[in-house]
Amino acid sequence: MLTHLIILLDDTCVSYCHYNVPHVDHRLISLDDLKAGIVWAMKENVNIQFVYPDYKLPDEYNQAIASIDHTKIKPVKQGQDADVVVLTDWKVSAVDDLHHTTCIVHASRNDLSSHLTTLKEILSQVARLNIVLTDVADFTDADIDDYKLLLSKLSDIVEEQLKLGKNVQMNLLTDRLMLDEMNNCNAGVSNVTLAPDGRFYLCPAFYYDKSKGHIGGLRQGLNIKNPQLLQLDHAPICRKCDAWQCRRCVWLNEQLTLDCNTPSHQQCVMAHLERNASRNLLVRLEEEGFRYGSTHRIEEMKELDPFNTYKQWK
Amino acid sequence: MINIKENSDSWQSGSSKSITFIVTKDCQLACKYCYLVGKNTKERMSWEVAKEAIDYILDRENEFREESVIWDFIGGEPFLEIDLIDKICDYLKTEMFRRNHHWFNSYRFSFSTNGINYHTSKVQRFIEKNRSHLSIGITIDGTKQKHDLNRIWKTADMEQGNMPKPEEEKGSYEDVVKNIPLWLEQFPNAATKVTIASADIPYIKDSVLHLYALGIKEVNINCVFEDVWKEGDDVLFEEQLTELADAIIDQDLYLDHACSFYQENIGKPLDPERDNENWCGAGQMLAIDAAGNFYPCTRFAAYSLRSKPAWIIGNVKDGIDQNKLRPFLMLDRITQSKQECIDCEVSSGCAWCQGENYDAADSHTIYQRATAICKMHKARVRANNYYWNKLFRKLELMDQQDVYDNLKSKVTEPVC
Repeated sequence: MLTHLIILLDDTCVSYCHYNVPHVDHRLISLDDLKAGIVWAMKENVNIQFVYPDYKLPDEYNQAIASIDHTKIKPVKQGQDADVVVLTDWKVSAVDDLHHTTCIVHASRNDLSSHLTTLKEILSQVARLNIVLTDVADFTDADIDDYKLLLSKLSDIVEEQLKLGKNVQMNLLTDRLMLDEMNNCNAGVSNVTLAPDGRFYLCPAFYYDKSKGHIGGLRQGLNIKNPQLLQLDHAPICRKCDAWQCRRCVWLNEQLTLDCNTPSHQQCVMAHLERNASRNLLVRLEEEGFRYGSTHRIEEMKELDPFNTYKQWK
Repeated sequence: MINIKENSDSWQSGSSKSITFIVTKDCQLACKYCYLVGKNTKERMSWEVAKEAIDYILDRENEFREESVIWDFIGGEPFLEIDLIDKICDYLKTEMFRRNHHWFNSYRFSFSTNGINYHTSKVQRFIEKNRSHLSIGITIDGTKQKHDLNRIWKTADMEQGNMPKPEEEKGSYEDVVKNIPLWLEQFPNAATKVTIASADIPYIKDSVLHLYALGIKEVNINCVFEDVWKEGDDVLFEEQLTELADAIIDQDLYLDHACSFYQENIGKPLDPERDNENWCGAGQMLAIDAAGNFYPCTRFAAYSLRSKPAWIIGNVKDGIDQNKLRPFLMLDRITQSKQECIDCEVSSGCAWCQGENYDAADSHTIYQRATAICKMHKARVRANNYYWNKLFRKLELMDQQDVYDNLKSKVTEPVC
């Protein structure tokens, strides 16, 4: 069921997910389309998330946005009144302003490994830290040990904060502890994106990837082809999987496997490394008498790509 | 006890890897129902590409673990490239032997040909050299009238996009049928493949009987998967299949002839969990084109696709991108089917082609089953029921019911 409309206010809006924004000129959504998008969301009874560029919007845009309850996703330098701030570089002079927000760190694995101290500082300040990796497609089996190590170091940071009594959340490690079913991105199922060209897309990545098509417009409405294939029950690998924190990114699926319902080896392995790191964290916390999230056990699992086992019993 | 001839399984069915060389995209014919929309005279495989592909595959014995291999050659018309094919096959034999590869004692060279060049000295020399490892199917559609309706010679004008007037079309029947006796002498158990499109329906009965009369004992026949069917085609199709059933049974042709239309196990409901296999073998197979690109099946190469980009899974230089094979290897019947198909009470035997599914899909996916064939399948099921009920009664009256019971207990595996 559709619950959210994401509105990209400009072609240069900050990226809050796996995709990178190409180097393009500013192009603000037309005021008419913005207003029409807001009305569409009101009639469809869905919440709006506005994604901002790194410059101030004209007043009439702010007035239109203020006409509806919403969430603001902003780059950190515009982030004073944001609900979600996106860290676009590692200069965190603005960290003091991050209290009680959700912070998204959009970075590569190497970048994260080099900035663990900063990550620790951010985690201590924010209500929730979402780490979004920009280099999933480049991940190979040779990177498994490095990613395991990175997750282990992040686990140490989370554990330390928890022991200090701070109820921190870090998507890669704590989401799996709190979930009891799949909780994925759900692009095209629970959310769609309205882009500056006035058209709907499955998500911002599909807008920036010019090889992918739109899914309708404000006047014609939504027209998603084969919408069932975006649902979990039509994803043969994912529907049996218990890496519930996985983003299950349909854009990456289309990029890497060419079919939206099939995750790549990279996505599966990384999600399972995160799942297993979550399990290790849970075990350590329990050993030390801490409780976190639900009481579900996470079974030990050695196979990192469910495809390797599913294809045998399918 | 009498014997009833059944459709034979393909060689090493279920335990072999099918590797297809698209040696040329050229053909002497321009069959009207041909799904190859991008045939051309330019894309001919070079020896260098073929060798790189072979080396890539044989270097990876651990990744290609199937017990046997079918080295398949397709076009266009493969025998247009008999010199290249001969060189490829010589190299394959030498290399499989030199490497002590597990396929050396379990391989076939397979061809689907229009039969026009079958008698030529080069093709005959090749056959003589490889006879014990060959499987060759010549496509002949039936009577001259039926065959020439679709299987016409290509003209220079066609290459410019100009189609000939019907009276100017030149059929290929006579050029093919003259080679049938030689083919059957060399391969007495050979089967032929017949393709049915809308215009062919009135000729089905006469065509199958004609092929039997030519000495071909096994006719594998199927309707095209593309959306070509007109109003009333199913009624006519059912009539033809019913009349053919009468002829086969009344003339006792079932004793030593087989026609793939009639199979005892089709037309039954399927269980969503137990019977959830994919029909098509795309992804289990491997195809290579002149550019050295790999495909999950030839139907995913650009020249086979009307409306979608090629689905390339790698190439001879970089190898196979396993990610691009994952969707194929996870396919099952239910996930790609509409509820109507899942609930269908006559769904067994209803086939699909993954390439056509992809080509006809509303989005870039192989998970949307094309159903253009639905009404033709239902018509076939009704005629098939008639065939088996009639044959059963005949066998019963002949006190041969155990022959029927024996047949009924067998399950025919789908063959792509």
